[in-house]
Amino acid sequence: MSKSIMEWVDARLPITELVKSQTTEYPTPRNLNYWWNFGSLALFILIVMILTGLFLAMHYKPDANQAFDVVEHIMRDVNYGWLLRYLHANGATFFFMAIYIHILRGMYYGSYRAPREILWWFGIIIFFLMMATAFMGYVLPWGQMSYWGAAVITNLMSAIPVVGGDLVVWIWGGFAVGDPTLNRFFALHFLLPFVIFAVVFIHMWALHAVHSNNPDGIDPDFKKDGIPFHPYYVIKDLYGVGVFLLVYCAFVFFQPNFFLEPDNYIPANPMQTPAHIVPEWYFLPFYAILRSIDFLGSYSKLAGVIAMVLAIAILFVLPFLDRSPVRSFRYRPLSRQIFWIFVIDCFILGWVGYNPADATRFNGALPLIAVGRTCTAIYFGYFVLLWFITAFDIEKPKPLPKSL
Amino acid sequence: MNPIAFLRTVALAAVLVLPLSARASSGGPPLPQQNWGFLGIFGQFDNAALKRGATVAVQVCMACHSIKYIKFDQLKQIGFSDPEVIALAESQSHTKKDRMLSAMDPTSAKDSFGVVPPDLSLMTKARKGYEDYTHAILTGYLTDADRQLVDRVMADQKLDEKEMLELASALGVDAHQPDKVKETLKRIQEGGNFNKYFPGNFLAMPQPMSDGAVSYSDGVENSLKQMAHDVTSFLAWAAEPTLMERKSLGVNVMLYLVVLTVMLFAVKRRIWAKVEH
Repeated sequence: MSKSIMEWVDARLPITELVKSQTTEYPTPRNLNYWWNFGSLALFILIVMILTGLFLAMHYKPDANQAFDVVEHIMRDVNYGWLLRYLHANGATFFFMAIYIHILRGMYYGSYRAPREILWWFGIIIFFLMMATAFMGYVLPWGQMSYWGAAVITNLMSAIPVVGGDLVVWIWGGFAVGDPTLNRFFALHFLLPFVIFAVVFIHMWALHAVHSNNPDGIDPDFKKDGIPFHPYYVIKDLYGVGVFLLVYCAFVFFQPNFFLEPDNYIPANPMQTPAHIVPEWYFLPFYAILRSIDFLGSYSKLAGVIAMVLAIAILFVLPFLDRSPVRSFRYRPLSRQIFWIFVIDCFILGWVGYNPADATRFNGALPLIAVGRTCTAIYFGYFVLLWFITAFDIEKPKPLPKSL
Repeated sequence: MNPIAFLRTVALAAVLVLPLSARASSGGPPLPQQNWGFLGIFGQFDNAALKRGATVAVQVCMACHSIKYIKFDQLKQIGFSDPEVIALAESQSHTKKDRMLSAMDPTSAKDSFGVVPPDLSLMTKARKGYEDYTHAILTGYLTDADRQLVDRVMADQKLDEKEMLELASALGVDAHQPDKVKETLKRIQEGGNFNKYFPGNFLAMPQPMSDGAVSYSDGVENSLKQMAHDVTSFLAWAAEPTLMERKSLGVNVMLYLVVLTVMLFAVKRRIWAKVEH
């Protein structure tokens, strides 16, 4: 009975064939390590974000006079509203953690290399879209940090020559961040996750065309070293989701405000600038890069914005900067060392971004702006060095295994 | 240790330590850490303390501040009876269905103090230091001994090193900046509201209460410290009345997830047993 129904459906929509070719018979390398869990994990978090966001949107009002109060209404009066909001707010944090690990995994094992360039590019597009979505979502509670964060970041557009000033007014829908800004940010914050979902589909389409990379970075013989995605990686990913949920829920239920700035529990006040405006932690390294370009006089702001955008956009050309015959850094000692320096550098940039621009250490002997400039140079230096050591064969890769 | 392992260790240490150092660098004397029984995974609100705190909030804080996200009626959740709630509401010319709004209107408050007193509903979540901050502000005003010290120091218009050290320990001022200390002392004598823990030291709010300001009916000593502790606990409840629900649900969720994850791991091992990897 069920067999004949399935035949009837398959004749019209070949679901069985799709499930076979994309899961039960879709070949994956057998040696993927746990760093490969973070892609499907990110998809899981995206779905959590869309669902919690949908239910939050049913209670939220994008009105400058009501937004702050309505968030507290969700926290206090809506059944499990506090749970929805804390899941959503902390979900953003963990989404970025998963994505950062996912990107760094791709960088370490050479997953951006041919033939995976398009797969990599769509990943970067997802990252850009996520940043825009997260930024606009943070504005919605309309607290002090929401308001002033929005003011600072949108103001950056004014650095664009000729049209900058008009562009900012157009984005604001007025002459300052205000009710029209909140309205359009809400509309876009609702829309963009579905755009992300569509781009994730393209990302996965490209993945299934070229198949997963693996820790050895060599093209596997799937007849010998391939295992089907289902059940092997389905169960492994589910186990990863379980571990993730333990960490995520520990924060949601026991430390839900750990990643939030206390200032955002103060209603937005256009007349009072907070002593110290900080973006969410996931923007901090880029914020530090933005602020570290302060030595070009009237061009500093524009140069800072360009540097900040370039810090991510440079990932687009990474497949062409890396000229090594070997993909995985497992077999590339020099690349591996500069990679870890790059990772540490990102953390230091984040710390610099967290501190006020004029902060110093060691009784003024070490201005953090100098640390920021150095770390910005190291950040971009990674990409230059990677090109340099591979284009001129300075790195001698270790011998690759013949098979997985 | 090879260089890679070393770098990895440094990266890990950076992840763990940086957030801590970032939190510690705000200047001024550190906020005294109080013991809050409702924090932690299994922490519970003490209803007796919340009730005392609510009394302090109504009799002292609400002279100027509102607690607008709480209605008087909700005070039943922390153990008040209906007649008690009605009495508290009526003491502020409200009914029990009303929000806890201050009798002082914002305009006249601004005329008197220069600022509109902030709503207190979220106070314990809205400042760095959280509950410790609220408690520190309430207890951080000058004591009588501090005032005598200030008067003694200012009597001869000179600041010697011994006096400077005394001031540093009593008021939490920086002994290395004598000019700033002198200015601070001058402002205190001119009637400025000095508070050890307020960023910048001077705030619009005069000392709201001192020992014995509110009489307690349950025999607990009504010292300033005790009242500050009680009212801060109450404000922590007002900031998140769903706190206990959140934590008890959280314990169940975590137990469920531990079992689920262990089972998923077991299934994963079983399925992968045949694969060489």
